Amino acid sequence: MTAPLLKVDNLCISAPSGPIVQGVGFTLERGRTLALIGESGSGKSMTALSILGLLPPGLSHATEGGVIFAGEALPLGEERRMRTIRGKRIAMVFQDPMACLNPFSSVGSQLDETLRRLNVTAREVRRERSQRLLTEVGLPDPPTILRRYPHELSGGQQQRVMIAMAIAGEPELLVADEPTSALDASVADGIVRLLADLQRRHRMAMLFITHDLAIAARLAHDIAVMQRGKVVEIGAAQVLMSAPRHPCSTRLIGARRMLGAPRSPAPTTIESRVLVANGVSVDYAPRRLFGRPFRAVEDVSLTLGAGNTLGILGESGSGKSTLGAAIAGLIGISGGCMTVLGQERTQRLHTLQGSRRRECQLIFQNPYGALNPRLTIAQLMAEPLALMGVAAAQHTERTTVALAEVGLERQHMMRYPHQLSGGQRQRVSISRALLCRPRLLVCDEVVSALDTTVKVQILKLLKRLQEAYGFGMVFIGHDIEVVRWISDEIIVMHKGRITDRFAAAEMEADERDTWTKRLLACTRVPSHSPSTAHACG
Amino acid sequence: MNLLQDIAFQLARALMQAFAIMVIVFLLVRVTPGDVVDVLAIEGDLTAEQQEVMREELGLDRPLVTEFFNWVRQAATGDLGQSLRYGRPVADMVGNALPTTLTLAASSFIIGLVLAFSTALTATMTQGRFTTSLVNLLNIWSIAFPTFCVGVAAILVFSIWLGWLPVLGAMIAPVVIIGIDNAGQIAKPLFEELREAANSAHVRTARAKGLHPVRIAIAYLLPTAIPIALALSGLILAGLVAGTLTMEVLFGLSGIGSLTLQAIHGRDYPVVQGAVVVIALGIVAINTVMDILHRLIDPRLAR
Repeated sequence: MTAPLLKVDNLCISAPSGPIVQGVGFTLERGRTLALIGESGSGKSMTALSILGLLPPGLSHATEGGVIFAGEALPLGEERRMRTIRGKRIAMVFQDPMACLNPFSSVGSQLDETLRRLNVTAREVRRERSQRLLTEVGLPDPPTILRRYPHELSGGQQQRVMIAMAIAGEPELLVADEPTSALDASVADGIVRLLADLQRRHRMAMLFITHDLAIAARLAHDIAVMQRGKVVEIGAAQVLMSAPRHPCSTRLIGARRMLGAPRSPAPTTIESRVLVANGVSVDYAPRRLFGRPFRAVEDVSLTLGAGNTLGILGESGSGKSTLGAAIAGLIGISGGCMTVLGQERTQRLHTLQGSRRRECQLIFQNPYGALNPRLTIAQLMAEPLALMGVAAAQHTERTTVALAEVGLERQHMMRYPHQLSGGQRQRVSISRALLCRPRLLVCDEVVSALDTTVKVQILKLLKRLQEAYGFGMVFIGHDIEVVRWISDEIIVMHKGRITDRFAAAEMEADERDTWTKRLLACTRVPSHSPSTAHACG
Repeated sequence: MNLLQDIAFQLARALMQAFAIMVIVFLLVRVTPGDVVDVLAIEGDLTAEQQEVMREELGLDRPLVTEFFNWVRQAATGDLGQSLRYGRPVADMVGNALPTTLTLAASSFIIGLVLAFSTALTATMTQGRFTTSLVNLLNIWSIAFPTFCVGVAAILVFSIWLGWLPVLGAMIAPVVIIGIDNAGQIAKPLFEELREAANSAHVRTARAKGLHPVRIAIAYLLPTAIPIALALSGLILAGLVAGTLTMEVLFGLSGIGSLTLQAIHGRDYPVVQGAVVVIALGIVAINTVMDILHRLIDPRLAR
């Protein structure tokens, strides 16, 4: 095959506010995988959407440049002509499968309409094909799945259904836009393996958009790095990973490397324990009148010393966030006892009393949800100060100092949360939590929503602040490398129980619990040829 | 909860609502100062003794609770009592008035729905300036012009100036007027909902699958709009009671609205009670049907 299957040539996309993608170009051969990586806002998703002519309203292609598919220029702006290509020759898998499936119809009817559009006329043939597709994407018991509605499936199952619909038309090119970023690590791993497998079996070309370098390295033959609407570096995955040339690629790879290298643990100080839990369990009230309560956390015992970090690792639904909220006193405990900052808490008295309430602070995953959108940063920061009884005259000074500590400047003080980037918002959340000089900080997935490079900055910031102020930190996360980097000790939770506990440096040791090993296997960056990807895990 | 349990729950709730409504209607009528005998006394010069005898005959001196349960027991068998004023069975009077009101309400409701859905859907699919303006025009029209104002204007223009319609008794004018008003109330929220749905991830997926726009409109856009359309329809149907009342009075139609109004003026308790209860139970029934429909259409409501 001489001509490439896909040739993106000088592609330009502009919004009313300015250009989003400027002169992007790359080629993709049949049967190969190209990963498009970059930070959020780099234009990688828009590039992907424009290949199917699916740009959101308000964005438009420039006249020069375009996309050449199998030797012909794609009529990007023409809905009617694009429709003959979509789903048949180019298919797409999106990021958030829950939002992408039609909530009003069953999996069966969504697969059915896909096949009907592909001119499979006989009803029985469509049904039989649907079942075969579901089997192919690794879903057990297809007849049951076909009857289900999207909300009755797990995130991983939903994404598999999306993939089944995408491959239904035997497309020559599959565009996958961050298909794993809304999923748990082990589920994401399954999806990546499935995509690699399907790509090989169907000899499809795949354009894989991601911000996760590890996944890109596992899947792709070639990697293109995007920054601010431009491709800054493109090359074979192996070469790019080992010897990146552009600063942006270096930064992305360096960030991953920093997380990969173990950090020396902080000295353990037994004397000043900020948190001791003994056989703690947490129940959620039953949803029905005489139903049984749901036990989210069961028999958890842990200790945390000042200046140390305890990592809590687990998948969604493992009870780790519930445990965090219970530590911070947001919800009550149903059994056992917990001593936070020297105050003993039982079932009857679960809130923290007096100054301890101030000394235990909580930071959440989504800073945009945690900051009141109607207040400026200065007003947001003034709230805890006023509660502590600091005179209004000193607010500006205290706020400026606190924001400077997290790397924000005076100019940010008059802005509203929506005028800041995700990383800046999380800095504000951290800064606000630290205004109260906490002795215990509970961080619930605080970097999960951030890009790798920003993630690393925030992690370094937390570590630096911890060294300066000596607070104990509970760090909840699902990303093994992030949790390992920041923690001194790690507990692994599964279905509400602690299944494993170990010092961060000993994570790779042999005596690890099988569940921990499974989590580890999912995130390990492999020795890198995409053809061996299926061997991982 | 499964479907049958859900429906049983809705029906039980409707039954309780019906009972509460009957209590309220019964009390409301009786807390108004003055009774039918007072009104007749003013009109027909009755002596104090005659008034006493009349009250005893009509049962107006008995305790409220006894009266209430008598009324409920009879109403359950379809007997709404007799008009204090005309001596005719209330059920007959309501029954005679009902077809007019139902025709008026149903046809204007259907006109409203069809008009609202067609404008909102075209505006969403074309994203055109003209179709969007049409939605806004309908919306502003229903806010700015109350139906009784439009009604008066319509009589002036079509009946008096142009002479196309009779002043009293024509059904077409009130049906169109209320229909447009209904459309105006739902077209805008419906359009907003549809536009949001058109930009949603699952519609984007449908486009990526290469589905035809008409298929997308039917299978993806309409179901999204149905919950809000059902909720708004419930509100509109309740509002129709007031809407049809003014229109009936204005256009001289003898529907349930005019009947109720006359009965209130004459303190004709059984007629007021009977008419209001029939209307209220109708609304409860409609809302219950709406809730059950909503539950049937949106699979996510199954818990």
